Amino acid sequence: MNPVSLPAPREPWYKYGIAILVLEMAIAITVSAYSLYMTFNGLGGFPGKH
Amino acid sequence: MHTHKTEQLLIATVGFFWCFLMWFSTAAFSPSIASTYHLSIKDLGLLASSAIWMAPVGRVVAGWASDRFGAPRTFAVILAGCGLVSIASAYTTSYELLFAERVIVAIAGVSFVVGIQHVAQWFESDEIGTAEGLYAGTGNVGAGVGALFLPRIFGTDYHSAFLWLGVIALFVALWYLWRGSAAKTTERSTVARRSSDFRGAVFVWTRYIAIALMFAYAMAFGLEIAMNAWLPGYFTRGFHGELLGLGFSSVAGLQIAAGTFAAVESFNASLFRPFSGFMSDLFQRKGWTPLPFIAKELPYAPRLHWLGIALILITLAMAGLTAAGLYGSLHWSVAVLVVFGVFLSFGTGGTFALVPLLFPDRPGIAAGFIGGVSTAGGIIYPLIFGGSANIHMGYLYVAVYMFVPFVVFYFWAARYERHPEEHGLFGAVPIGQRA
Repeated sequence: MNPVSLPAPREPWYKYGIAILVLEMAIAITVSAYSLYMTFNGLGGFPGKH
Repeated sequence: MHTHKTEQLLIATVGFFWCFLMWFSTAAFSPSIASTYHLSIKDLGLLASSAIWMAPVGRVVAGWASDRFGAPRTFAVILAGCGLVSIASAYTTSYELLFAERVIVAIAGVSFVVGIQHVAQWFESDEIGTAEGLYAGTGNVGAGVGALFLPRIFGTDYHSAFLWLGVIALFVALWYLWRGSAAKTTERSTVARRSSDFRGAVFVWTRYIAIALMFAYAMAFGLEIAMNAWLPGYFTRGFHGELLGLGFSSVAGLQIAAGTFAAVESFNASLFRPFSGFMSDLFQRKGWTPLPFIAKELPYAPRLHWLGIALILITLAMAGLTAAGLYGSLHWSVAVLVVFGVFLSFGTGGTFALVPLLFPDRPGIAAGFIGGVSTAGGIIYPLIFGGSANIHMGYLYVAVYMFVPFVVFYFWAARYERHPEEHGLFGAVPIGQRA
């Protein structure tokens, strides 16, 4: 481990930035889960068989 | 004018999101355009590839302009110019003219480097990774949002879509001019302006570390836009039997299936990008430098290590895609694609958490070079994928013959413990000029 610099206290905006990035990751995981579900079941009747 | 850096981040992000929406709006309506003008598959391919034509050179120029004239003015010109041409394209009845106008509208994609410069001028080095990640990741989603919602909102009426996209771009341009501020301090913007001469640009273009970061971004974002274009066709052809087995037998069904599987890469690469910036910040705060050869004492050394890890993971994921394809498993292929998209985001976010720190006096020129030339990957990789005898082998060929040398070069260029930006093709920076 290389102590490069002392961690500075976070500014207030940072926690909102983290909240947004967590939300964005959740969307990506949802899309991924749906796509993986589709590889096993096709559209499964939603929104209609093709 | 009283402002805050979060307001500047918001303006840059909205501007970039709208530019990305305009950039890929032609692709979203390509079936309607093809139907109107009776285009062949070759014509469609040309129309799709034309979206990237202006990016390599355009981003280099836009990066320089943002240092020279400030990000707000440069971004407003891009938004207004592309918006006006988008409005004109809504009333065009000749395909040749429409094609030319849409190539010009695609210049909106160069705005990426302008926003990178803008954010770099406002945020401090310990939070730059998260800030740039939020800007670029959220803005990049414009491509996915456009593909998902534009056809649903406007149906086949691409004329109205191009009109509204252009009109709103004009309003965003006015907002950018009204509330945008070039830098946190006058000193920062003055330094960038004074360093934006041709000599300064050549200096950046010839630095080994800048070339290494350009290759790194070609492995990440260059590959991301290449895969956006390549993956739907790959799934349709490479897993045709599996898709038929799932009940996707019609052309529309195959398009939905292939598009949904391909979207996994696009969504993960875009939406995990802020997380990658956050990880770069975390590496920096914790001082983690686990890789051999790469510098350990530089003030931003941990960020170099995070990017090094990302590049290795991207290379391994490419081999994984080939393995899953050869195994013939659609499940594994999509699962590897999920991980692959996340690793791409590590590369894109990791690269631009570093660029402003390596070239603090020339953030626009550096972003333009690294973010611009690397987009040529979007043109080159699909040619290699498509040229392979086995459709699944292209990923491995690119990984072995291109990415392994890129990674080795990155490790070599990032090994300097003091001022890596001073090492390049034409020696160190002249005395008195800080890079």
